[in-house]
Amino acid sequence: MNGRPYKLLLIGAAVVLLVAASFLQRQLNRQRAELGLTRIAPLENAPPVLAFTTVALGGFRGLIANALWIRANDLQMEDRFFEQVQLADWITKLEPTFTQVWLVQGWNMAYNISVKFRDPYDRWRWVQRGIELLRDEGLKYNPREALIYRELAWFYQHKMGQNLDDAHLIYKYEWANEMTRVLGGGRPNYDELVNPSTGEARERARLVREKYKMDPAVMKRADELYGPLEWRLPEASAIYWATVGLEKSDKRDLITLRRIIFQSLHASVLRGRIVLAHTNGTYVFGPDLSKIGLAHDGYTKMLAEETEMPYAIVKAHRNFLKEAVYLLYTHNRLAEANRWMAVLKEKYPEAVPADQSVETYALKRMTENITELNHNRVKAMLEGFIRQHFEHLAIEDDERAAGFLLRARNLWAFYDSSIQSRREQLRMESIEGMYRRILDEMLDPQTGIASGYAAQLRTKLNLPAPVAPKTNPPPVAPKRP
Amino acid sequence: MESGHPFVRLLLRFSVLVPLLRWIVGQRMWAVTTLTWKAAFRFRLFWVLAGLLLCSVVLLPLLIKDDGTARGFIQIMLTYTLSVVTALLGFSTLWLACGTLARDIEDCSMQMVVVKPIARWQIWLGKWLGILLLNASLLALAGGGIYGLLQWRTARMEKALALARAAKDEKLAAHLAAQLGVLRNEIFVARGSLKEPVPDLEMEVDRQMEKLPNKESLSPEQVQETRVQFRERINAIQQVVPPNHLRRWNIELGLQRHLLRNQPLFLRVKFYAAQTNQAGTYLGLWQVGPPESGRASSMPQSLAANTFHEMTIPPNLFDDSGKLTIDFENRNNVALVFPLDEGLEVLYREGGFGLNFSRGLGIIWCWLALLAALGLASASLMSFPVAAFFSVSVLIVALSSGTLANAVQEGTVMGLDHEGGVSEKSPLDRVALPVFESMLYVINLTKQTATIPQWFAEVLPAPLRSLLHTIFPSPPEPFSPVAALSTGRSITWGTLVRACAQIVIFMGGIFSIAGMVILTLRELATAQGQS
Repeated sequence: MNGRPYKLLLIGAAVVLLVAASFLQRQLNRQRAELGLTRIAPLENAPPVLAFTTVALGGFRGLIANALWIRANDLQMEDRFFEQVQLADWITKLEPTFTQVWLVQGWNMAYNISVKFRDPYDRWRWVQRGIELLRDEGLKYNPREALIYRELAWFYQHKMGQNLDDAHLIYKYEWANEMTRVLGGGRPNYDELVNPSTGEARERARLVREKYKMDPAVMKRADELYGPLEWRLPEASAIYWATVGLEKSDKRDLITLRRIIFQSLHASVLRGRIVLAHTNGTYVFGPDLSKIGLAHDGYTKMLAEETEMPYAIVKAHRNFLKEAVYLLYTHNRLAEANRWMAVLKEKYPEAVPADQSVETYALKRMTENITELNHNRVKAMLEGFIRQHFEHLAIEDDERAAGFLLRARNLWAFYDSSIQSRREQLRMESIEGMYRRILDEMLDPQTGIASGYAAQLRTKLNLPAPVAPKTNPPPVAPKRP
Repeated sequence: MESGHPFVRLLLRFSVLVPLLRWIVGQRMWAVTTLTWKAAFRFRLFWVLAGLLLCSVVLLPLLIKDDGTARGFIQIMLTYTLSVVTALLGFSTLWLACGTLARDIEDCSMQMVVVKPIARWQIWLGKWLGILLLNASLLALAGGGIYGLLQWRTARMEKALALARAAKDEKLAAHLAAQLGVLRNEIFVARGSLKEPVPDLEMEVDRQMEKLPNKESLSPEQVQETRVQFRERINAIQQVVPPNHLRRWNIELGLQRHLLRNQPLFLRVKFYAAQTNQAGTYLGLWQVGPPESGRASSMPQSLAANTFHEMTIPPNLFDDSGKLTIDFENRNNVALVFPLDEGLEVLYREGGFGLNFSRGLGIIWCWLALLAALGLASASLMSFPVAAFFSVSVLIVALSSGTLANAVQEGTVMGLDHEGGVSEKSPLDRVALPVFESMLYVINLTKQTATIPQWFAEVLPAPLRSLLHTIFPSPPEPFSPVAALSTGRSITWGTLVRACAQIVIFMGGIFSIAGMVILTLRELATAQGQS
């Protein structure tokens, strides 16, 4: 038998065998995993070229990855970074299931390379490259790897959220602007994102899914669990990726993800509110004491779920409660401060002496904070002092009011003098600006203090009475012909 | 000889160099050169290579991932396309050089040539020249492609900028203008470098030793140790800027000052911090210009350690004698270290990109010429497969110079015990290390400008030593066209001439002489292949 029928027969046989092999391969892979015949996890979600490369190169891919790694290292030592994205892509593609490779390459771009640039926007680009490598590629091939979720969430929480990098404000502004463009603000309509009905909603949902690789349903779930989340702040994304990690990861290293969640919740209390959005795309962030309860719930939930290292969460929770008491005290919310002090004493009796009052504890803590001079804590203290200044003015306790204002001014001046070498990066809102903003907030008829106190405050500060809201003009009578 | 492929005829007829070359090398050698070209076309080698080169030039930019900036894209494009072109042409040159001679000998066609009135050394040189010309034309083709692509990319950006301006999209326009500015100032340019001369540490150590009151009573070991300590102290004084201290650099522009009027200069700095801080950046005040004139430009900067930074210096801040004064005030509470070799340099525009690019291709061509000589020399003695294997092995050894350098640096071929920091000596070291050192010196002749060995410099009279140091600069200048082009560094005519002299004439000359002698002495009839 030869000629065309023979060839067709051969082609047909090849197709049948290939199809059969594809079924058998799945079974073989399953059995390999079940019998523990291989320690290498099969590659998931890989495009055909990558799947072929990893199989075809066999053991040699490790050698090639090493050579590329050496080149990347050499180039980095010579400050030639332009190849790093390509080299990182190749290295990770050659070892797609080797978690540490992804972590090191992502970290290298977001942390090591970014700080080598002076221009904050250059830095931001490298932080984004690090995030993209893990989020867009690393998780695609390792969807059950907790450490990659943790690293990604850490970039949001630490690199963008903290202020250790000189360009941290640019990261925060750029991220806030991006999220505003995508979600329309800090609080999206989750249902619209899950089931978009309009063209605009569909476009938002597409961006969220395709560009930011976020699932609106999980966003909603994270918001229900730990929110309300302010998505313009990087901590919300940190919480999101930690939540996804907790849902999808193998049951290993989960403590790292839980840590991200409670640390982000803690950060949200200290800096979880955008108090002012300037038209030039910059923002003023402030403490959000209303989130103390939510953060506490988050800690409690994490503590209930954690079985590996619960003591780590216990310690963090205790510190959080101490901080909450202190913050509430500085904002003159004494009743709440006392309530949380009671919770602290009940849960962690060793944390503070049983007979210590909120006042005594807060004064002791204040001394520590002033010495430590953390930007967020100092800001929270300043806002607390100014708020208390107005509240004491409103109740005609002028002496204490003056004392709080003086304390705020002194603290601001002390902080300012201590950040001389990084004034631009750690700059604090001016005391006048803060004063004006908090006064406006307190006099706001919707969200401010009670109208009687507001009137008192206006009198004290010689402010004009509020302008009555305009009413609609009476309808114009139709002209008679 | 004039018949053949139309493209060959076209190239031969219209190339300006051809008549000149033909006149120089003579009719006989030229005939062999033409035969080599014809063989390259007959076996489709030229077309295949041209196609591969053009494909790599066009396709690579589509496949590579850049860092998202125009500068990053151009840099990676230049690096990868030039590297691929060099690799492709390098391997094909070795292959062709081995094949063209070895196969001619094996299939006995060489016997037909040698009976003609032509010397064997002329045959050898004719083939070498043929491969050199082939490489030159292929390199010109690939280089033209790369250059055209770069121009096209830039033109596209300029068009986008014009459109953004027309649409009044100020943010995009500013972004594009900034990117184009970076390309013009840092990539599409040939920038020269000026540094403070490296002080002669040994002279200063000698002076300090002279001042020692009890130097006669010191044992040789103590003298050695004292010299080391003095050297380190002098080094520290030169490099370290303690907190709240000022370091001054005086850069002599020399005659360049006349060309650099009204031109911005660029300051490139790198420092290390004695102790890292949380932010990773360190505050300092840079002042550039005549110190007491009131013209000095102040630049307070918070810069990261362990990396290079570039700052623009406004024009005309040097004095009438061409001295540019740069002051740095360390405003941190840690000491900063500016290494003597790369701590600070001033970059200036020396020329345009086009000519620099051509000189870079010139250095690549020199490497290819050496590979051709290597291939032909090995094919003069060996059969094609053995010659190819031998040539590739030599190439691999040359590319492994890092391993050789490591062994020489560690003082052993047995590797260093990294925990103890002590090397395990072996009897093999006595033989291997001098061999490695010699190999490294030879290999380095193809990678960087030659330097005068210290022992040789010491025995020479001062004027001759000074003259030799001018010709052979120390530290050596690397022949790294790809790195230089992708970072906008100037490849000077001097560097190109040195590359030609060292790589083609000296190294290539050694292989050529060896190859020509072997071919002349070889009994060609015994090399007949089995077929």
